[in-house]
Amino acid sequence: MRFLLAGLVVTVIGAGCFGDSDLSSTGSGGVRSDRKDVPPPDCGGACDTPAPAARFARLTHLQWENSVRELLRLDGPTGLSDQFTGDTLGGIFDTHTGALKIGSTLWSDYQRAAEELALRATLNADAVSRLLPVDAPEATDARARAFVESFGQRAFRRPLTADEVSRFMSLFELGPALTGVTDPMVGGARITVQAMLQSPFFLYRTELSDVVVEDAIPLNGYEVAQRLSYALWNSMPDEALFAAAASGSLSTREGVAEQALRMMADPRAREMLSRFHHQLFDLDTVRAVQRDPAKYPGTSSQLGAYLEKETALFVDEVVATQRSNLSTLLTSPTTFVNQELATLYGLDLAGGSDFQKVELPADQRSGLLTRLGFLAAYAHGPDSDPIRRGVFVNLRVLCADLPPPPDNVQPLPNETTGTMRERVTAHTGAGTCGAGCHSGLINPAGFAFEHFDGLGRYRTEDNGLPVNAADTYTLKDGTSISWSDAQAFSQSLARSRQVHRCYAQHWAEYLFGRNELAEDERLVERLTEASMEGAPVQDIVLEVVTSRSFLTRSAAEEGS
Amino acid sequence: MKNKFSRRFVLKGAGGAVLGLPLLEGLLPRVAHAQQTPAPRFAVFMRQANGVAQASGSEPERFWPRELGAVTQSSLSSLDADRAVSELSAYASKLLLVRGLKFNFPGNGCGHSGGGNQCLTAQRVSQSPSGNRSLAMGESVDNRIARELNPGGRDPLTLYAGRQSGYIDEVLSYRGSMDLRPAENNPLNAYMRITELSSADAATRERIAKARLSVNDLVREQMNALRANARLSAADRQRLDLHFESVRDLEVQLSCSLSEIQVSEMQAMSSGEAYRDGANLVKVARMQADLIALAFSCGYTHSATLQIGDGNDGTEYTIDGVKQPRYHWISHRIFADGSNGDPIPDAAQKHHQIDRLHAQMFRHLLDRLSTHGLLDSTAAVWCNDLAHGVSHSYSNIPFVIAGSCGGYLKTGQYVDVREGGQYVAHNKLFNTILNAVGCKKSDGSPVDDFGDASLPRGELAALKA
Repeated sequence: MRFLLAGLVVTVIGAGCFGDSDLSSTGSGGVRSDRKDVPPPDCGGACDTPAPAARFARLTHLQWENSVRELLRLDGPTGLSDQFTGDTLGGIFDTHTGALKIGSTLWSDYQRAAEELALRATLNADAVSRLLPVDAPEATDARARAFVESFGQRAFRRPLTADEVSRFMSLFELGPALTGVTDPMVGGARITVQAMLQSPFFLYRTELSDVVVEDAIPLNGYEVAQRLSYALWNSMPDEALFAAAASGSLSTREGVAEQALRMMADPRAREMLSRFHHQLFDLDTVRAVQRDPAKYPGTSSQLGAYLEKETALFVDEVVATQRSNLSTLLTSPTTFVNQELATLYGLDLAGGSDFQKVELPADQRSGLLTRLGFLAAYAHGPDSDPIRRGVFVNLRVLCADLPPPPDNVQPLPNETTGTMRERVTAHTGAGTCGAGCHSGLINPAGFAFEHFDGLGRYRTEDNGLPVNAADTYTLKDGTSISWSDAQAFSQSLARSRQVHRCYAQHWAEYLFGRNELAEDERLVERLTEASMEGAPVQDIVLEVVTSRSFLTRSAAEEGS
Repeated sequence: MKNKFSRRFVLKGAGGAVLGLPLLEGLLPRVAHAQQTPAPRFAVFMRQANGVAQASGSEPERFWPRELGAVTQSSLSSLDADRAVSELSAYASKLLLVRGLKFNFPGNGCGHSGGGNQCLTAQRVSQSPSGNRSLAMGESVDNRIARELNPGGRDPLTLYAGRQSGYIDEVLSYRGSMDLRPAENNPLNAYMRITELSSADAATRERIAKARLSVNDLVREQMNALRANARLSAADRQRLDLHFESVRDLEVQLSCSLSEIQVSEMQAMSSGEAYRDGANLVKVARMQADLIALAFSCGYTHSATLQIGDGNDGTEYTIDGVKQPRYHWISHRIFADGSNGDPIPDAAQKHHQIDRLHAQMFRHLLDRLSTHGLLDSTAAVWCNDLAHGVSHSYSNIPFVIAGSCGGYLKTGQYVDVREGGQYVAHNKLFNTILNAVGCKKSDGSPVDDFGDASLPRGELAALKA
């Protein structure tokens, strides 16, 4: 781990690297007059600046589902979130807090689910006992209080205040009257669970800390714990994380790092890594790939599902099993195929129909962008589709600033002569109205894959003419990369700063649940450098969640 | 607890009369007797994507009738039988076909998204986000109606049929500027919301209502404590306000249900998420139309939307038993979403057939409204977010209205509302419809200013009875 936790000499979160020894002399919220504008280069994550963010980030439906499962100690998902009204598209990632709102339809959905879950979880006294600490007192009143306090702390992911306890105790006592259940513990627990599952403190990750230290507001231990657990696990904190929050150890970056490392080894983190890449590489579109088996012998109606699985297995192998990095994702010849995919790759697969790990010919394939899934998802029918492939690479891999296409794009002339490349060039290349975007950005990135037909099968000829996949792409910094084929293109991408920055930016967006903002620059640049040097993807994640940006809130949003 | 007593125990009767009732009495499942108020009125908007096969460039007219003026069953079923609107001939006397309207503002990089943004809002298109992510800068007409007329401020019913691509999904219903409401694509979920508790006995409903009230009071206290924080950002405040307003106490609902056969069909459609499959789109659209009529008849909502297909509908519709290329490709007349593709043979004619398919889905909605005796109380609108697919134009957006909305609209006619040959901004249509359903400005006067503030005010006189 070559860069994680650089700058840990300064440990108190919030104090930044501007000196934390004499905070008392400036007082809470004070800004030291002698602070330096430029943090020392070795300061690392301690010197990042938080950007304004939601203080009430609503749980995604997945996070809700995982949380109630954990909270109510259920064996499996409830499935109730399938009935929730969906969220609108906030961006590439489902964690985007801007789209996570509670309108009256979702409110009713939450209400219904809370009632049903409360009923299921409190069918009888034994069921209620499973939600209580083992050493809970037997006397009804004390037992009720133990329930409110212990279940409340897990539901709200922080201890309840004394006022909250007494308010919920009043509700608990009404339980039998409100639920029609005579057992006071069962009735009380039922109405309490029903209410807590509808509370804003359950439905949102609320962040109420508001004491400014220098230019940021340090989150308290419980707020840090839920940021960590929802970022890394899409679920609520476990007992160990709650214990860390209670002990105060999450007020230092070392303490956070210890928990984050532990959590990263958990299968829930593996799922999160997979989910991030699923959304970044849009595997829903890969799964939707369909080809007519009559026209493409050897393909089946399951083709899209197989392609999705191939990509998911490959990403999991690189990121989780090998603990490797972005460069490997872009260049590895390893993949996973079943018989159907092996045939399309031109491989002979020994043995059964299950997916097996194989090495693809290194002179034909290099990394994710040379896999059938990407190549088939961004093409139609038999032909390659340089424009759609090129647009995807520009937007998701290079973060190029492509304006949207014009409304009235004219179709390609219906010609059957020449190669696809020649036709696309004539229509959109230099000297045409599409030159601005196409000739320098979209077309080159798409032409790189001309050795692959519309299904991703390798070819050396297009329409009887030799394939030409060589081209040059101009990066944002004005330098350019050139290549002869998709393998060389992928290798160039894997060495490109712009590509690593794009990947780092996407991680920040996913983990923060918002678009990149100016305050993220320092962190994203550091992630970029590390990724270029080969830092494992998991270390990128760890660096984000241990940075000062992640562990504090911006003071700038106050009153805005 | 400021709103405790104003929000509690208030229910709106079927006639829109506000009645204050004591606690338990108000929760019993009985009809709230309206005073001498007009019958409730409704509006529903069904959106087709990608324009229609109307005259454009070298393509002939395949959508509108030949002549302006009276529309009759015989004119539609004989002379104009080759036009898509002829599918609605059975409802000729209830129809109001409106040409000459435009979306006033340019899109921002994506014609489909910009059209979807304006379709029910008559608002500008956001500068950021742009392209296929652009948003409308104000509320939609269904939201305005629900906000003013729905019991307890309940959301408009916001439904969707077909696949979601992730490129542009739902587009229609806006709570406010850049605040797009999600649409429900699973009919069973919508049904469960509409009919909730309506089959429970009185004692059960009473108990559930009491429990909910206790929980809601507690949640409101918590929400109010959070909202009292003066240092919230605007976005956080908006988020909490929306949530707070969404916490509703149980309203009295008429007994409300569909047949067991209909419900079991919805269950089958829900299982394995079959409703997401484009191949089931027409079936899902019909179910959603059933739900809209049910929701109106039960007093669940006064407005609803039904979006057919995704933003630039890529559904592979089946015509005469043959599965067609993606509709978006057909609307471009080539085998592609963009510029790179072979021509689709007979694409304009295929587009016309898909227009007919939409007319049939709309007709099913009219059938259901008629069954419930609601068509004459409703303005049912079949609209589009483009005028014509190939051009992506916003001029001459087709609006097909059925129902007089309580006698407010003059039906049985085909009108061109252009003024001095110029297309008219479509906010005037919404002013007319808002007044037809009974909405008012805050001073009690008729609505004349829906949509962006720069747009001309007033109604479309030609539409009024």
